[in-house]
Order: sequence, then structure tokens, then C-alpha cells
Amino acid sequence: MESLLEFLIQGIVLGGLYALFAVGLTLIFGVLNVINVAHGEFFAVGGYILFCALVLLHLPAVLGVIASGLGAFLLGLAVYPLLIAPLNRRLGRRPAGSLYLVLTLGLSTFMQSSLLAIGGGDYRQVPPLVRGILEIGPTGVSYQRVLVLVVATILLAALFAFLRWHRQGLAVRAVSQNPEAAQAMGIHLARIFSLTLALGVALAGVGGALMAPLFNVYPAVGFPLTIKAFAITILGGMGNLAGALLASLIIGVAESMVVIVVPSQWQNGVAFLVMITVLLLRPQGLLGRAAVR
Amino acid sequence: MLEVAEVRSGYGRLEILQGVSLSVAPGTIVGVIGPNGAGKSTLLKTIFGYLAPYAGRITFENRSLVGLRPDQMLKLGAGFVAQAGGLFAEMTVHENLLLGGYDLASRRELAESVDAAYERFPRLRERRRQPAGSLSGGEQRALALARALVTRPRLLLLDEPSAALAPRFIDEVYAAIEALNRSGLALLIVEQNVEMILSVAHRVFVLDLGTNAFDGAPAELRQTDRIRRLYLGESRTESYAG
Amino acid sequence: MSRRTLLSVVGAAAVLLPLLVAHPFVLSLATQALIWALLASSWDLLSGYTGQISFGHAGFFALGAYTAAAASKHLGLSSWVGMLLGAVVAALVGLGAGFPALRLRGHYLALVTLALAELIRLVAQNWLAVTGGPFGIYDFGSFTGLPASGLARARAAYLLVAVVVAAGIRLMLYLCHKTRAGRGFRAIREDEVLAESLGINTTAYKLLAFGVSSGLAGLAGTLYAYYIQLVSPTVASAATTSLVIGMAVFGGLGTVWGPVLGAVLLFGINEGLRFIGVVYNLVAVGLVIMVFVIFVPRGLAGLRLRREGRALRGDAAMTGAGGSGA
Repeated sequence: MESLLEFLIQGIVLGGLYALFAVGLTLIFGVLNVINVAHGEFFAVGGYILFCALVLLHLPAVLGVIASGLGAFLLGLAVYPLLIAPLNRRLGRRPAGSLYLVLTLGLSTFMQSSLLAIGGGDYRQVPPLVRGILEIGPTGVSYQRVLVLVVATILLAALFAFLRWHRQGLAVRAVSQNPEAAQAMGIHLARIFSLTLALGVALAGVGGALMAPLFNVYPAVGFPLTIKAFAITILGGMGNLAGALLASLIIGVAESMVVIVVPSQWQNGVAFLVMITVLLLRPQGLLGRAAVR
Repeated sequence: MLEVAEVRSGYGRLEILQGVSLSVAPGTIVGVIGPNGAGKSTLLKTIFGYLAPYAGRITFENRSLVGLRPDQMLKLGAGFVAQAGGLFAEMTVHENLLLGGYDLASRRELAESVDAAYERFPRLRERRRQPAGSLSGGEQRALALARALVTRPRLLLLDEPSAALAPRFIDEVYAAIEALNRSGLALLIVEQNVEMILSVAHRVFVLDLGTNAFDGAPAELRQTDRIRRLYLGESRTESYAG
Repeated sequence: MSRRTLLSVVGAAAVLLPLLVAHPFVLSLATQALIWALLASSWDLLSGYTGQISFGHAGFFALGAYTAAAASKHLGLSSWVGMLLGAVVAALVGLGAGFPALRLRGHYLALVTLALAELIRLVAQNWLAVTGGPFGIYDFGSFTGLPASGLARARAAYLLVAVVVAAGIRLMLYLCHKTRAGRGFRAIREDEVLAESLGINTTAYKLLAFGVSSGLAGLAGTLYAYYIQLVSPTVASAATTSLVIGMAVFGGLGTVWGPVLGAVLLFGINEGLRFIGVVYNLVAVGLVIMVFVIFVPRGLAGLRLRREGRALRGDAAMTGAGGSGA
């Protein structure tokens, strides 16, 4: 019984991480109509920045995490003007999603192998950002994991509040619903696209920093997450932020609990099976395809 | 106020406008009519920056509009209401109005302008928390108008304001248009509903096959045989591949 | 037409050239390049020519490789049977994957094929009994009936691979240009709804494209298995898919023969860069994909076609532009 509770808690923490990742991915898809195959690489970048901050520069953990988010954000700002806008310009209209997929696949390959070239392939280790165990009834969870959940919750709440109430958040939602009408409101599309993309990958970067002590840091650390995030966004409904949140928790808990019946190395298969099932039975996902409401 | 001279425009290699000219004097209502496929919507989209013209001049208050993006038009004092309104259907009425004022500098200005919009269209205030998509056709059109007015433009481009509306609502929309014009707003209106636009416009341009076919006061239009023929069957546009 | 005969002649000469070189290393590079050519070409048949984007071709490749290796190792079958089995298994799975494709478009399809490939990789990594787990299968022998060693062996292996690859590509080109299926593929790519309304059996043609494409990818996998003589889970990795897509984009989407060119060149660049440092070659691949997708979408093949005036919209399905651009 206590292992059940333990798995549940692990599942929720995992769900929190997935949410950080998947919500960012969904935001980018909802607004730009781009599936960012390179999302995991921004996660990895976050981890690397934290590694540099903590292990090489001996900065405090808080600064390290902030630097990771900021670094991913700045890097993300470059993606729209350098890659997506030129493609749009050449084609004169917004191309079908598949072409963006190939483009971001190229970016993913480029980023991952660049990380390999710059940082080497070794698994870098990062000490926990907080130490100690939180007792919960018969079991416990490390404060490091609690931190992930807490930060994820805060950041996501901030994001939702931003979208709901802030002037630019309103603009982001407008662009996702009707880009032409948004332009007629005086909204500069390119700026919103850049901002949204940067925000989405910044979330991944922070996730990468928070998980660095748990996953270690290496170039390909983000890729399995990317694929799972696809499964999550499809389960939740592509473009639907609330759906991504819900689906993240579901998959996180399911993955964690499935260990009870299945050997642990098959854990990763849960997400894929879910994805394939959803696509066959109910392609619009749990909450349906919606604009970023 | 607005001068359009010999504009050629279209979508990629598909040329729709083949040399169109028109002008809008300050404080007047100018109508643009013509058969389907004549390029009326294309004209508005080109003026407002959604399409880049291949050739020609477009100036607004002596400033060239060619090469500008739609989001830059608002600062110059021009607004645009798309066909069917271009509302953000999943957002509330209030949020739509807030977006209308996205460009405004201060929050106070925004609040005042939104209040003014509610004054002018009281039914919107009742529905302020409802999603825009749940409003009736007439209310949606009113919202689209109200939204476009939040920044107090001096010129408003309207794309078929009467499209898909019940006659009762069409009258309301045009009553609002006239009222707005009386307070100084210039309007360039593309219309399929010839009667309505002839009843309010100061000047009308007729487009056919991407070029000017006629322009003048509505009264002149009514008396010209040629124009009546354009609308009553002998139109060359039957074979136009739209 | 004469352009095509010219290309065929040049192609045949280029293929025969390595045989004249007395260096086993060159032959080894050429052999591998041809295997990639078949894989890239098979991807293009499905994704570029028919417009059904697959992000999981590494999975079919791996299926073929593992089937052949397992068949030879556990069942003692000859490489000829292994190649056949590998191709068939991959084709069957590909057909199976084709069914969901009937309902999914664009990025949904790409994602589901990606999931499939990852599942295959997961199975390869964990099904120790059959696949040897993370270390893979490695003592299952090579092509049966080859000279034992040396230059003669290298030459024979190259010739075998070249013949099989050429046959596969010839089959695809025949399908595309000389049969109704080819017209069906192009119709599906350009405008699926229109094709259906014209009475074209899009279901049958889609499934055909999936089956042929995955079968040939599997065949390439078997060639890989018997040539390299080691099959490990990395074969099914996304890096493989990425490389293949890079080759197709480089060579020219939707042409079927363009990716052959892209594969040979990119593989050559890849190996060349390996001398500088193992880590950098994929960086180039990533760059190639991005740059070519943005600026040179029709790839190397497209550069020539455009000069001829008639644009072959190989990337039409991906760009979503169906014809006049209106």
C-alpha cells in the first residue's frame, strides 16, 4: 500500500514536469501552428546552463534556474525570425504543418549534435538543488521532486494568468484564434510569434534545470520527453492548454503506476500506446482542438 | 483623404485588380460595388496591407500605405472590419472590445473608449461577459463595428457589412454607419447589397473584372443604363474564372 | 525523355565506378551509401511523392534488419530468405500502419509513425531473447555465397547490394511513372479530397504506398544487417529518421530518384566530416535540413527541373499549395 502512495506521488511530480513541457509545446502549436520537434533540446539547454552555473561557476541554485529559463527564452527568440519567418516568406502563406515538422526536426538534430560537439557526450551530474526528504504518511518524497512540482505549478499558474488578463496575453490568444483580425487590432504578428515561442521553450528550459539533478545532463536528455509530450498533447487535444495540463497528469500518474504490473523498462511504452489509441479512437483528444483560450 | 491610383494586386500569380483607382474625401461615405469576383474584397485587403500591390499608389492623408503591415494602419488612423466581422468568437464581448483598444497608450484611455462603445451600443453592455460567437448576427456586426471604433479612427474600411444579415439587422447596421459618419468618420464600404449602399453613400465606385467601370454620385448611377445592365444580366463577368 | 536516359546512363556508370577501384574502404563507403539511398528513396515514395509524412521510417528499417538477423541467427536461414522475410515483415507492419493513415493527415500521421518507431526501438531494446537487448544481434553471418574475404568479397557484396538497390528503385520509379498507381499517388499528394471525388481509390493507393515504402525500407534494413553484421537498437533511433529525411530533402522531395543523389552526397559528407571529429557530422545534417527546407525545397533534383520550366511540385503536399496558389 505504501508503495502505491509512493508511485502516486511520483506520478504527480512526473505529471508536473510533463505539464511544464507539454504546455509550452501546446502553446507554440496553438499560436504558431508549429510542432516544435526541438522542444526537448531546449530542455537539454536548460540543464546545461544549470550545470555551468552550479558546477562551473558555483552560483546559487536560484540564479542557476533563472539563468536556464532566461537562456532558453533568448535562444527561443531567434527561432521565429531565423527559421519560421523565412519559410513563410518564401512560400507566401502559412505552409502545411508537415513542412514545419521537418524544419524543426532539422533544428532538433542541429541543436542536439551541437550540444554534443560543444559539451561532449558525457552524462554531467548536478547536485540536488534542495536536499532532504518530505515525509508524507508512511512514505516520503525528496524535496528536489517537490521543488519541481511547486515551481511547475507556480509557472503554469503565472502563464495562465498572463494569458487571461495581461494585454499581451490577450494578444497571444487573439493571434491563435484569428491572426488576420488580430492584425487589424494593431497586433504585430511577428512579435507575438517570437514571444510565444520563446515563452514555450523557456518553460522547457526551466524544466531541464529542475530535472538536471534527477536525469543528469547530456545532449539527448530531452528527446524522450519530446515524444511523450506529443502523446500528451494529442491526448489532451492539440492546441488546448487545459487539455495539455490534464493529459500530463494522467500520463504521469499512469506511467508511474504501470510499474506495478509491468517491468519498468516498458514504462515509456505507455505514452506511445496511449497516443496510438487516442489517434485511432478519438483524434481530437480529451478536450478537443481549441485555440489557446 | 485616401487616394488609390492604378493599383494592380492579387494573390501570388493570380492577378485580380488590374488598375483600380478611387478616392475617399474626409468625412464622406464611399461605396464600392460590382459583381462577384470583381476584386472588391481584394481592394480593401490591398489598401489595408494584407496584400502587397504589384503596382500603383495608395496614400492616406498624404502618407503612402504601400509596404505597410495591417497592424501599422491603426496608428495612422485607419481601421478595418472584415467580412463577417472577424470577431474572436471564443472571447467575450468585453475582451473583444479590449482588443480593439490594444493599440491605445494608456489604460484610462482604453477604459473610456470601451465605455463609449457600450454607450453607443447598449445591448453589448448586457452581453459583455458572453462569448462573441454566441451573439446574434446583428449583435456580432455591432460588436465588430464597436471594436473597430475604440481607437477612434478617421477612416474605416468595411467589407460587406450587410453580408448574411437579416433585413432588420441590416437597417440597424446602416443606421449606425450613418450616425458615425455624421460625427465625422469617413467610410469606405464594399457592398453586395446595392440598395443599402446607394442610400447612404456620397460617392460610389463600380468595379468589374478588376478595373473601374464607373464612379459618381448614387443618383447618377441609378440613371445610367450601362450600370443597370451590369447588374441585370448582360455582365461580362459570367465567364470570369473566379 | 532524353534527360532521363542521360541520367540513367550517368547513374549506371556512377554505380559501376567503385567496382573499378581496388580499395575495400571505398567499396565499403559506396555500399553503405547505396543502402541509405534505398532507404531515403523509399521514404520519399511515401512522404514526398504520395504526401503521407512518415517520421518513423527508422522503425521499418529496423524491422527488416532485426528480422533478417534473427532469422539467420536463430533459424539458420540463408541471407536470401532473410532479405525476403525482412522485407515482408516490414511491409506488413507498414500496411498495418497505413490503416490509421487513412484517417490522419499531416502532423498527426507523422507523430503516430514516430511513436511506432519508438515502440519498435523499445521492443528491440528490451526483448532480450530475440533481439539481444541493448547490445543487439551480431553473430548471424553475412550474405550467403560470397567469396570469403578480401577485395573479391568487397566487390561481390557491393555488386549484390547495388543490384538489389537498383531493382528497388527501379520498381518505385516504374510504379510512379508507368502505372495508374503513380497517378493515384500524385493525386493523393496534390488534393486528396478532389482525388476521391474523381473516383480514385485513395484507400488502396495509400495502403499500396505504405506497403511498398515500408517493405523497401525493410529490405534496406536487411542489406544493412548482412553488410554491417551488427544490428542494435540505435538503428531504430530518431537520428536514423532524421538522416533519411535530410537526405531526401537534400536530394529533392517527391522525385524518388532525388533522394538517391541526396543520400550518396550526404553520406559522403557525413563520412568525410567523420575525419574531422565524429561529433560534428549530424550538425551538418541538421543545418542541411533547415537550410534546404527554407531555401531549396525541391532539393538538388529540383534545381534542374526548374530550369526546364515545368515545375514538378514534389513538395506540394507539404506546402499545402494545390495548384494555382489562389
